[in-house]
Formats: sequence, structure tokens, C-alpha cells
Amino acid sequence: METISRSVVRKDHEPKVSGRSVYVGDYPGEGVLVGKMLRSRLARAKVLGVRVPPLPEGYFYVDASDVPGDNNVNIVLDDTPVYCRETVEYIGEPIAMLAGPDEAVVDQLLAACEVEYEELEPVLDVRRADFAFFNYEFGHGDMEQAFREADQVFEEEFMTGYQDQTYLETQGMMAEPEADGRMFVHGSMQCAYYVHGAVARVLGCGPGGVHILQDVTGGGFGGKEAFPSILGCQVAVAAHKAKAPVRCIFDRREDLEFTSKRHPSLCRYKMAVKDGRVTAIDCDVTFNAGAYSTLSAVVLQRGIIAAPGVYNIPNVHVRGRAVKTNTTPSGAYRGFGAPQTFFAVEMMMDHVAQSLGVDSLTFKEAHLARQGDSTSTCGRYHFPVPLPAMVDEVDRACDFRRKHQEYAKPQTGRYRRGIGLSMYFHGAGFTGSGERDIIKAVAKLRKYPDGTVEVLAANGEIGQGLRTTFPKIVANELNLPLEKVYYNHPDTARVPDSGPTVASRSLMVVGELLRRAAIKLRAIWRDGEEQEVEERFREPDFMIPFYLDKFQGDAYPTYAWAVNAIEVEVDTFTGVSKVLGAYGSFDVGTPIDYNIVMGQMEGGFLQGIGYASIEKMDYDARGRIRNNSFSDYLIPTTMDVPNLQCMLHVEKYPDGPYGAKGAGELPLVGAPGAYVEAVEQALGGGVRLNHAPFTAEDTMNALMKEGL
Amino acid sequence: MVNGYTPASLREALELRSRLTVTPYAGGTDLMVRPRPDDCYLFLARVPELRHIAEDEQYLRIGAAVTFTEALEDERVPALMKEALSRIAAPAIRNAGTFGGNLANGSPKADSVLIEYVADAKIRLASLRGERLVDVASFYQGRKRLDLAPDELIVEVLLPRAGLERYVYQKVGGRSALAISRVSFAGVFAEEDGKITNIAAAFGAVADTVLRYRDIEGMLLGKTVDEARALRGEYLRAYEERMVLTTGRVSAEYRKRVCMNLLGGFLETFGI
Amino acid sequence: MDAICFTLNGRAVSYSGSATDRLLDVLRGEYHLTSVKCGCKEGECGACAVLINGTLYNSCCVAVGAVAGDSVVTLEGFRETERFAVLEKAFGALSAVQCGFCTPGMILASEALLSRCPHPTEEEIREGLSGNLCRCTGYNAIVNAVALAAKEGDGLW
Repeated sequence: METISRSVVRKDHEPKVSGRSVYVGDYPGEGVLVGKMLRSRLARAKVLGVRVPPLPEGYFYVDASDVPGDNNVNIVLDDTPVYCRETVEYIGEPIAMLAGPDEAVVDQLLAACEVEYEELEPVLDVRRADFAFFNYEFGHGDMEQAFREADQVFEEEFMTGYQDQTYLETQGMMAEPEADGRMFVHGSMQCAYYVHGAVARVLGCGPGGVHILQDVTGGGFGGKEAFPSILGCQVAVAAHKAKAPVRCIFDRREDLEFTSKRHPSLCRYKMAVKDGRVTAIDCDVTFNAGAYSTLSAVVLQRGIIAAPGVYNIPNVHVRGRAVKTNTTPSGAYRGFGAPQTFFAVEMMMDHVAQSLGVDSLTFKEAHLARQGDSTSTCGRYHFPVPLPAMVDEVDRACDFRRKHQEYAKPQTGRYRRGIGLSMYFHGAGFTGSGERDIIKAVAKLRKYPDGTVEVLAANGEIGQGLRTTFPKIVANELNLPLEKVYYNHPDTARVPDSGPTVASRSLMVVGELLRRAAIKLRAIWRDGEEQEVEERFREPDFMIPFYLDKFQGDAYPTYAWAVNAIEVEVDTFTGVSKVLGAYGSFDVGTPIDYNIVMGQMEGGFLQGIGYASIEKMDYDARGRIRNNSFSDYLIPTTMDVPNLQCMLHVEKYPDGPYGAKGAGELPLVGAPGAYVEAVEQALGGGVRLNHAPFTAEDTMNALMKEGL
Repeated sequence: MVNGYTPASLREALELRSRLTVTPYAGGTDLMVRPRPDDCYLFLARVPELRHIAEDEQYLRIGAAVTFTEALEDERVPALMKEALSRIAAPAIRNAGTFGGNLANGSPKADSVLIEYVADAKIRLASLRGERLVDVASFYQGRKRLDLAPDELIVEVLLPRAGLERYVYQKVGGRSALAISRVSFAGVFAEEDGKITNIAAAFGAVADTVLRYRDIEGMLLGKTVDEARALRGEYLRAYEERMVLTTGRVSAEYRKRVCMNLLGGFLETFGI
Repeated sequence: MDAICFTLNGRAVSYSGSATDRLLDVLRGEYHLTSVKCGCKEGECGACAVLINGTLYNSCCVAVGAVAGDSVVTLEGFRETERFAVLEKAFGALSAVQCGFCTPGMILASEALLSRCPHPTEEEIREGLSGNLCRCTGYNAIVNAVALAAKEGDGLW
């Protein structure tokens, strides 16, 4: 193992393990107003008026009329209001906030508010949704010819459901007006500068009028990418009106029902096969965006770029739409659109192989892309594609090939076994030319006279280890002990904008900036002086420029790769599937800290298995999310997948620090394909499964329907 | 204390219960999910008469304030009950949750109550007016409906000491731990001199109350296993027709299928 | 009316609010013991776990009136012990802490487990921590850390 990969005790370990870390809910409550939302009870309605009860002194009712600037939260588009406009567009949409010193009084006042609605017909069915926020299309080759000349054509539809990020700390933000007139907003978040831009615009005060601090954050997984911008604006407007600090912490039900989660998807796939090879793939991808567009554009882009999977298929056509429904807006979640399409393509390949009577792994392997091949967007896989070796690693770990043959034979007992496998990538960093054209990351190092070095960047430690890995890189280049280099939670008043904590980019992109900055500092180092160095993002010169309007070029500079195998035992009496083993080989380049990277892989893989199996969330005929508590939305416990084995395969990326690539999202992405394939094999009888999560009840339905 | 009483004896608890409107509080695990802050809680965990596990000739008597963890650590508690208790939620909940609370919450998903049903347990109730001993099935009348007068408290569960050795138990939850039952099944079998003397089957979490059909069980009582095998189809059909289940976190159809599968498996376990 | 008297991290305290108040809220609000985290308020995540007379409870599902006369220990109290030092080191060595929000509950659940079962098998560790949700780690690092603590702290429990 390389020196940089050796594990250290995390810098945030001591304060967290001893309970000393201060999360936003942990600041003393004296003098802080408690803010709570008045939420829409209808999925779509005109708000004719709100009868607000008389407010005791020190209590405030805050709505759109109190927004000093623009009542739009800047995310990608500006369609999300701070507080609702004339209409409400989903159940739970914030109409107003009630804030005051005593939480119980705030609750009573909220209960006494009466909203007068004129109900409108909501759109709840994705298939009937007629408005697409985003509609993309791309492809290459000659689809018509490929389908015309095909021996066989296969067509199938795949569906995935919501997944909630279920960070253990719910969303929470706090705004404090400062004596100098600035608004100080802090809380649980991934992207301090996103919140900064949004709040400045809503307060109409210019960037100097606000500053944002990331507090210790109890998990994000994408859920705290854009949502804190909304909540941050809401508390900032309230604090502006009350001229007092306002804090709003969601309870778990609120968080599960009303914060953004993974887009449910509907994917229609069509494949042309000639001489046993897939010659064309046609993917029609629909994501349920919910009521506002939030991050749907970029989620959809990543999803459709991955739609043909890791395979080299000569003719490709992809269409993607993010449609509006009157439901909680969907948003970012680890994997960012790719888990949905990888599920579809992996199941499709599996099903086509079965229909052709060939082993699905052999079939998949025969179609794998290789270094130098063209990507779905006519970019290039510039670096080696290590999947064949990784398949072998997984096979060695779980005896995949033998079990896959064995379980394919008819099984008749109460307990039946199956094993499934998925292969996938995660494009490292922002999609397309976002890093170069939009983010333009800047990072700094400041050396103090005592010889300590502070990392100045905007990326948030959310558990993934940045407070440790950033300093490790810098200390390594400066030949300093790790104690001499530190990285605090970012405050936009004192750190440059190194971009958001998203897209598995922080370590790969910002980490490399810091490595280069450290080399610079090393060259000019003078003892006893304060010195500062800065680095700016430069796009690697091998990149084929990406054009978003055509979806053409290198969507990503490089890719992290993975192979997952999952083995299950299905109890045909109850439909319950037990995961006997989950095996993952992951290539995220050089691990900057072995334990930290393994923690990401294991945690992400288990989230993926949850997504595939037990994490079911849906809304009812009125558009209300029913799985709104921890007894209704189930995430895995210690007991669910005791045998979870992750391995690292290292294919270095020359433009990442020491060869590191994006890591955080990868391990979640492929679990649904491997899991559902496994259940499908256990059920046997040629059954074709096409959705995730695939629950015990789904298994029982399949058994009954197929008479298995 | 404000809004609370901590009686030191059953007598004191019953006096408070008869004199005031109080909410009995045992382990808190159900009550505190939807707390009633304006109520006055009657804290029962320290009432000695509710804390014992004792045996008499016929019954194992488990005090209403005995926790699941305590029962799991007591060698007198039968294996069937322990198996159900060990699948309840997780350690912190089992440390707090009690037999009395599981009954009083009035949920058909209560895992200890299922075992009480299949075991023909009795419940001892007390008030200042006196004591009553009732069958669990008559005590438990439906969701949140109990045969419990406003001045009464649950004192103990009487679990028969014999006859629970041969059993089948299965809990279907949404995950491997920390799960509320979506379907639960317990079956108890006994034979004497080649004749079936007990073939009790109870189903939890599938309807408003735990389900058990003594008349259908009666079809197989007194029969040999071979005779029972011949009646298997008829017996299963009777259940199939009788069981009308409700939809909750899972559908009624799913529950029905699982119940029938588990019932069939129960018969097979004992050669029927 | 009498206040509710109990021992909190070794110190005698008396609470004069309602007996129906959640222990979780009382610990955080009245006594500023913010290691006790609120994850769900329904006993389904373990983030608010505390030890009462040495036994593990979810403080969200305990009314404060129920702890009258008891000894309540939160991480603020437990972190002063030798046992904590061993668990702390093991969790650190295996990077078993990520976002940290479940950690106080995990540490106390580990203590409760090891008190009862000083040399647990992996299965016993998983069972002992099964009421504590962690969304970050996938649990392997935590389970291994508890096993390591049991080994390194042999004799302490």
C-alpha cells in the first residue's frame, strides 16, 4: 500500500466520538426563535388566504410578502419559491413560517392557522404528466438500419422508486442577523456557496451581505446539496423580519415527507440483436421530478449518459425527460440519476441473455467497453477499463460463476437461492464542462508563522473524511506531520469557492488543486512568515470538449468502476429474501486513506442494497408520501447484510491526487441490478423482474402470478 | 412530581387509578411515540407486585411490568415466548418494553400477545373492587379495544407451564431487526397416546386483533396424525375461507398467502 | 409539588417540569447534554440512547418521571471512563465514525453490550447494535471496532 493510503485517525474523530461536536441543533436555544413551517395540505391549489391567529409579542408569521429580494431560490433554474406563490404545487409545500421563542406556542399557533384553498386537479401519474422540465435526446449510429437488420428485437420497461437519503441528522438551518448588518446563516449542508448565492439573492443584498458556515453535518448523501439553499433562504427571511436569530430543524416525519429524494424512474429499453450481439440500444428515460425542477436537469443528464451502461454498442439513441408532478420535488442522492438507468440496462442485458439462452455474465462480458472505445456521448474511455479483472476478483470472493450455474437449475424447496451481478461506472466529477465553465474552483493554503497550514476550501465534511484527506495530501507534499495541517468547516467569509461537495468531485478535483498548491508553497516556504498560495482548476488537456446541446464529447474525464455480486436466499413461504453475501470490487483509483475509502464503499453499498430491497416509499392517490416515519421507511440495520465484502481495485487517474478518482457515489449505483437479478434467479421459471425496490410482497406476487 | 405518580405498591397504584384520570406508564416505548403531555402518567415500573416472575402449579405468572429483556434472561420462560421476544425491535426497546404494555397498547402486532393467544394465557386484572382473571382472547377485543375498566390495571400474564414445547414460530418484519411485524404466526402442537390433543394456530398483525379459530382446530383434535393428514385439505380450506385480513404496510392478499403458507408449513412440521 | 430527582452523570439533579416530558428533550434542553441526538423521536434509530442504571434505553421513549431515583448516564458522563477510552481508540483505529450523528448512541450501545457480554461474537455485536441506525458506514467498521475494543479492553468489562 502506498504511504498516502495508510489509514490515520480521522481529524474529526475525537470531537465526534466524545459527543463534543456541535451540530446546528446543539447551539443553546436562549434568544433563538424556533421556526416551523405552515405547509400545504393539498397537492395543487390556489391559496386564497391564510387566517393567522393573533400573535403574542415576539412571534412572527413569515411568508412570501416578507422576502426583501427575489422570492426564488437559485438552484439550477429559479422556479422553487422561498414561500409559496399564488398556488401550492405539492403536499407539504411551505406557505409560511411561524417563529417564536417557545416551541409549544409555535405549534399551537400553527395549528390555529387556517388556509383557504381553491383546489386544483393535481398531476400525480408520471405516465400522464404532460409537462417536462427538461427533455434531452442524443445518440449515434444508424438506429433504423440496426433495428431493420436485427435477428431479434427486445423491449422492456423498468421502474425504480423513491429513495430517501436518511442522513441521521435531519435538515436544519439557522440564521442570525449580525451587528454589521450581514446575515449569518449556518447549519447542516454540503455546499456553503450554493446557500450563499441563494440567500444573497433572496435578501437582495449582494454577496457581501451574507456569509454561510457549514456546521458539523450529520450526513448528506446528496440530500443536503440543494435543499439547504431552500431552508437557508426561509430562515434568513424569517430572521430578517424578526431581527433575531431563527432556527428551523425538521422532525423526521417532515424530513421524510417533504425534502428531496431520489427520482422515481420509468425506463423503456429496446435492443436490437444480430448474430448474438447487441447492435442497437434505444433508451427512453423518464424521471419524476416532482413539483419544482431543483436539480433535475443535472440528475437527468447523468442518468441518460449512463443509460447504455458499460457496454460498447454501435448504435445508440437516448431520450430523457424530467416531468412535473404535484409531489415533493426530487433531487440529488448519491449516484445522481445513474442508479436508475444502470438498473434498467443491467436487467435488460440479463433478460436478453436469458432469452438468447446464453449465460448473462458471458453475454455482458462480450459487450464490455474497452480503453479507447467511444462513450455513449462519443467521448472516449481514455484510461483502462478494468472490469474483466474486477469480475475475476468478485468471482474469487464468492464463487460467482459456479453458483450462477448451480442456482440456474430448477429449485423446488421452501428456500431457494440466486446470485446476481452488475457492472457499472461512475463518471468522476461534474458532468460535461461544468468544472471548467461553471464551477471554476479555487483553493488556497495559508501558512501561519508557527508553521501550521490551513486548507482554505469550501467543501463540506459530511462524514466522507475531507477534514482528514485534504490535510493528508497537503502534509504529504510539504513533508509535515499531519497535526500541522488542518481543515475547518468552511465559512464563506473566509474561504474561496472551491465548488460544491457533490459529484464525487471534492477529493479528485479540489484535492488535486491542494496538492498543486502545496507544491507551490513548498517552493516558496519561508519559516516564521505567513504565506498564502492559491490554485485554480485547469481542465486536463486530453478532454474532448463536451457540448451539452448535442450531448457530445467527454462527459467525464475518467470513470470509477465497479462490479457487484449479491447472493440471496428467498423464503417462498414469506417472500422474504435474505442477503447471504454482498461482494463489491471498486476502482476509485488510489485510496487517499484506506479506512476512509472502505467506509465509503461499505456504507454506499449497503445503501444500495437498501434501495434494491426494503427501502420502499410511495405516495397515495392524493399525492401524500405515506412512508413518513422510521417504522414505515426502513433502512438496513446491523443485522440485514452481515456479510458485506468490499475490495479495492486500483486503476490510477493521472490527473487526480496520487491517482485518486471520484469515490463517494460509486458503491451505491449497481446494487439494485445485482440484487434483483439474484432474486429473479432464485425464483426461477424464467420469471422476469423489472422493478426496484423488489420487496417481500413483490416476491410473493411474482410467485403467485407465475405459479412458482 | 408534576403530571406523574410513582406508586410504591399495587394498592397505591389502584387507589390512584380509581381516584384520578391517569395514564398507566410501564416501559414507555409505545406511549412515548405519541405522548400525551397533558395527561398524568402513572409510573408502574417500580410496583413490586407487577415485577415478579413466579410459578404455580399450572402457570408461569409474569408481572405486567416485567420487561422483555428480563423475561429473556429467565430460564422459566418457555422457548416459544423467548423466540418471539428476541425478535422484538432491538435491545433498548426490549429493555423498556413490558408484557403489560404490549397488551395495553392494543395492537394486533404485539409479539408477546400472539404467544399468549396460542398458549391460552390468562390475564389477571385488578382494581380496588377486586380481581378478575380473563382469557387473553376475551381481553383483547380489537385494535385499541380492551376489556379493561378505567379503574383497573393489568397485573400479570398467566402462561400455561406445560404444552408449549412443540411449536412453530415465524415473524415476518420489514427487515432483520428493529421491525414491526407485518405477519406473525405461532402454532403449538401436542399429542398424547397417538391422538392430537392440541393444534393451536394464531396469526398476528393481519387483522384488528390476533386471529385464532378454535372450531377449525377442533377438526383435528382427537385425531391421529394420519387421520389429520387426510383432513389437511379441508382444514386449510376452512382457514382460507375464514380469514379476512386487512391491508396495512403490506396488502391483505400478501398477508393471506403468507398465513396460509406458514399454516401449511406448521402442519408439515408435525407430519400432517 | 416535588421535583423529579435523579442522578445525572454522577451528579444529583432535580427537574421541576412535567413528568411527561421526554427524557431526550430534558437532557438536551434543560441540561445541555447535546451528545444525546434526536434522530426520530419514536425509538427507531438509537441516536438518543442513554444508560439508565447501566441499561440501554432510547431517551426519546422515556418520560422523565420514569427515571426518578435512577442513575442516568449520557456520553458526557461515560466519556470520562477507562472503558470509553478503549472504545474511543478502537473506533478511531478503524475509522468507525463518519458523520458522527449515530456515534454517541453507538458508543453507549457498545458499552451496554460489553457489560453484559465482554467477549461477544460478531453476531452478538450485530444483535447488540441492532437498534442503532447508521447510514454512513455500512456497519462493518463499527462491528469490527467493538470486537477490537473487547480484545484490547480485556478485563475492563
